Amino acid sequence: MPARVFFALLLLVLLHLAPAILAEAVGPTEALRPTIDRILEVLRDEQLKGDANLRARREKIMEFVKKRFEFEEMSKRVLGREWRALNEDERRNFVELFSKLLEYAYIGKLEGYSGENIDFTSERIKGDRAEVGSVIDHHGSAIPVSYIMINMDSGWMVYDIVIEGVSLVRNYMEQFKPILRKDKYAGLLKQLEDKVRELEGQNVGIKSDASLLSDKKDS
Amino acid sequence: MRIIFFFVIVLALLAAPPAGQAANDAIDFLNDDFYTDGQDDGERPRDLIEPFNRVMFSFNDTLYDYLFQPVTSVYQAAVPADLRGCAANFFLNLEAPIRFVNTLLQGRFADAGTVLLRFVVNTTFGVWGLGDPAASEFSIMPVDASMGETLGAWGIGDGFYLYVPFYGPSTLRDFSGQLVDGLVMAPYYMNIDDPWISLEIYSYKETNKMSFHLGEYEDLRVLTFDPYVSIRDAYFQYRKSSRNRSPQSPSPEQE
Repeated sequence: MPARVFFALLLLVLLHLAPAILAEAVGPTEALRPTIDRILEVLRDEQLKGDANLRARREKIMEFVKKRFEFEEMSKRVLGREWRALNEDERRNFVELFSKLLEYAYIGKLEGYSGENIDFTSERIKGDRAEVGSVIDHHGSAIPVSYIMINMDSGWMVYDIVIEGVSLVRNYMEQFKPILRKDKYAGLLKQLEDKVRELEGQNVGIKSDASLLSDKKDS
Repeated sequence: MRIIFFFVIVLALLAAPPAGQAANDAIDFLNDDFYTDGQDDGERPRDLIEPFNRVMFSFNDTLYDYLFQPVTSVYQAAVPADLRGCAANFFLNLEAPIRFVNTLLQGRFADAGTVLLRFVVNTTFGVWGLGDPAASEFSIMPVDASMGETLGAWGIGDGFYLYVPFYGPSTLRDFSGQLVDGLVMAPYYMNIDDPWISLEIYSYKETNKMSFHLGEYEDLRVLTFDPYVSIRDAYFQYRKSSRNRSPQSPSPEQE
């Protein structure tokens, strides 16, 4: 009997460790590539193009994004010191809202490039962090997009996106700072809720150059 | 004018500031310091004249709706992307001498060689710079260098953040440098003495540039909580990263 318990425990430990061991084997670029490929597939899907299919398209994309993007790590950094003062529910609520915001900021941007090719160009690993560089080919000009990743139980996860040298997380952090100083967390939360409601209410895609062009082609 | 040019060259060779100084402080996204409140505020010039800047910001904001946006969208619709791309290449090539002098002044000799090589290749094979075969055929990527950077490399501080009407985000030092680059050197190479024609060329160049980014400003308005703060941060982030993107600069891997 004790032997059986021992093996059961051993198995349990091994099962628990397995994801971490497996994750170790997959490098950051290889972890990210399938996610980006799926997103591009959705963006290229003719049946999901245009503003009419925005909801369905975004839902599909977010399904893939959520597996590879760690919104809690993003939220932690974007709030800084404020994060530590929040309780579990508040944190969960903030992560949810902030991921919505990122959905519009990042996927909206990708939609603007309407499924043009993305090449992975560089990878830099430092401890449990990595920076994966990619380039979007947009009308012949190369737009650099870097993914900042952290190695967790679930493998390499993205916690910041750097578009043309500008970190999204840092940019929101800078905007949140004066709001937090002036109106505290409650004020920020209200603004965030309003912003997400405003974005959802619009129900249209982002208006960048390329999406305008592709809309014209659709009609 | 020619004398000024020679003076600048001689000064460049005499001064020879520490090579590649600007390239040493790349942003390290993998270090959490980057995300900690106010860690690098010391490097960023303060926004001392924020009330003034905000007025200028709303001025440009209105200008965008009533002038830049309508003009650019008509232009974008009228001229195909290929031609607009050629125009952008042409201006980039035309300004190569400015970048060449600035790389020399900053002691970035390898970059100076790249600029020169690109200029020669694109002017000849690229039909007066309309194409960019240096990048597309030979993978020689563009290098940027401005007078603002040169002043920085010589130890002149940013002063303060400055939002310039008709122009956008800058700092006191960078905008002064821009004036030197734009008003003194560019017309010299174009052999134009009439400032109005220079202004027209500048307006065209900027309209052409904006035609590739139409809609981004609208996105920014929707996606940000304070577009003024967002642009200020993006300006400093972009400036820092673009100064470290030249292929010759030591890459962050070599730590």
